Amino acid sequence: MNNRHINIAVLEPSQIIYEGLSNIFLKSGQYFQLLRIDTFDELKKYIEKKKLDVIIINPSQIQNKDKEFIALKNDQTDTCWVALVYTFFNQKMLSLFDKTIHITDTPDSIISLINKLNDSNSPNSSAAGHEQLSDREIEVLKLVTAGLSNKEIADKLFISIHTVISHRKNISQKTGIKSQSGLTIYAILNKIIQIEDFSS
Amino acid sequence: MYQTNRKYITPEVKMSDLIFDNSSILLLMEHFGLNFIVHDKTVMQLCEENKISVKVFVSFANLYNGFHLSGEENFSNNDVADIITYLKNSHNYYENEKYPEIKNYIQELYLKNTSPEIKLIDKFFSEYFEEVKEHLSYENRIAFPYFNELLRSGHQKKVDGQKNDFSVDEYSEHHTDIESKLNDLKELLLKYVPVQNDRVLRRKIVVSLFELEYDLNVHSTIEETVLMPLIGKLEKSL
Repeated sequence: MNNRHINIAVLEPSQIIYEGLSNIFLKSGQYFQLLRIDTFDELKKYIEKKKLDVIIINPSQIQNKDKEFIALKNDQTDTCWVALVYTFFNQKMLSLFDKTIHITDTPDSIISLINKLNDSNSPNSSAAGHEQLSDREIEVLKLVTAGLSNKEIADKLFISIHTVISHRKNISQKTGIKSQSGLTIYAILNKIIQIEDFSS
Repeated sequence: MYQTNRKYITPEVKMSDLIFDNSSILLLMEHFGLNFIVHDKTVMQLCEENKISVKVFVSFANLYNGFHLSGEENFSNNDVADIITYLKNSHNYYENEKYPEIKNYIQELYLKNTSPEIKLIDKFFSEYFEEVKEHLSYENRIAFPYFNELLRSGHQKKVDGQKNDFSVDEYSEHHTDIESKLNDLKELLLKYVPVQNDRVLRRKIVVSLFELEYDLNVHSTIEETVLMPLIGKLEKSL
């Protein structure tokens, strides 16, 4: 499945506020996976099972639970914690969060905040740019379609297996195709190999 | 815990409302052997009439609606039979309906567009279908009978022989393969294989692939997160 989407959980008691926020995400034209969570305890349980990229919390939900909150946050270093603020909270409370969304923020600024947070968290995701394969990747792809194993490819190109694997990963990420037989068809369609080369 | 676009299902909901909200629920019902004429009955009523565990049905229906299982459903040994019924019927749907449907489309596609690329796609799909059949038959022949045997032997000591044939790891590796090749096919047809007079047909293929993928996703989630843990528990208790 698409590995670029951002998983967001929202812990916000007001239905109106939640719906408004989710509308902003919906209309951004990007794919966000949004999940509403009702209590802090539910969040704790959920987070054990599934990685979340961003968690948006109304700070009132963690009042008197600072210790628990800090523990959970330190546990989940890959997750961004954002406060959703529309009443007064003291600075000490807000400083527990990575960022703050204020009720008067514009949709654009909210979306760009979330995107920025997520970029800095996953350095690889932005590198996957456009679908052009590099010369080296094309070489590896040819050998893959010829049915060579990673070890054989490594020997042939005088590189480590680790490098072969990382080339293969990039090839799959750029083309969207994982299986050897699928890649073979891709290579033929893109004239990387001739259909005659591919006898079975 | 809920996502935005679909309703979270409870046993008191009318089945017809469910179907109007998400037509894939029809497939879910079929996998449980339920009739489509649902009158005004609720999910609970229909499950009870058909002697299907309400909990199993509702959890699966919520999977179809895009909700994750919370892990607190606490399925019990009594649910295993219903789960296996569901899985077996969906195997039947894959093997005798959905894959052949796509295969026919691809062959029709070749009649319209006799390029060597389509021939390759056809070959890719045929080999893929064979792999899938092999996996389904592995489950039907080895995995399910083993689970049933486990259930039946209940408190008795051991299940001889069969245990060695079954491996949870192998099981989930198969799933990953099946899903990733399906995805490869979508990528090829949408991004790379040139269209020649075949737009309508190709749309039909791609839509079928999406439908199949949707059901397969739910299927493997059920096998891996519901059935396997239950079987693990059963094995330990012996």
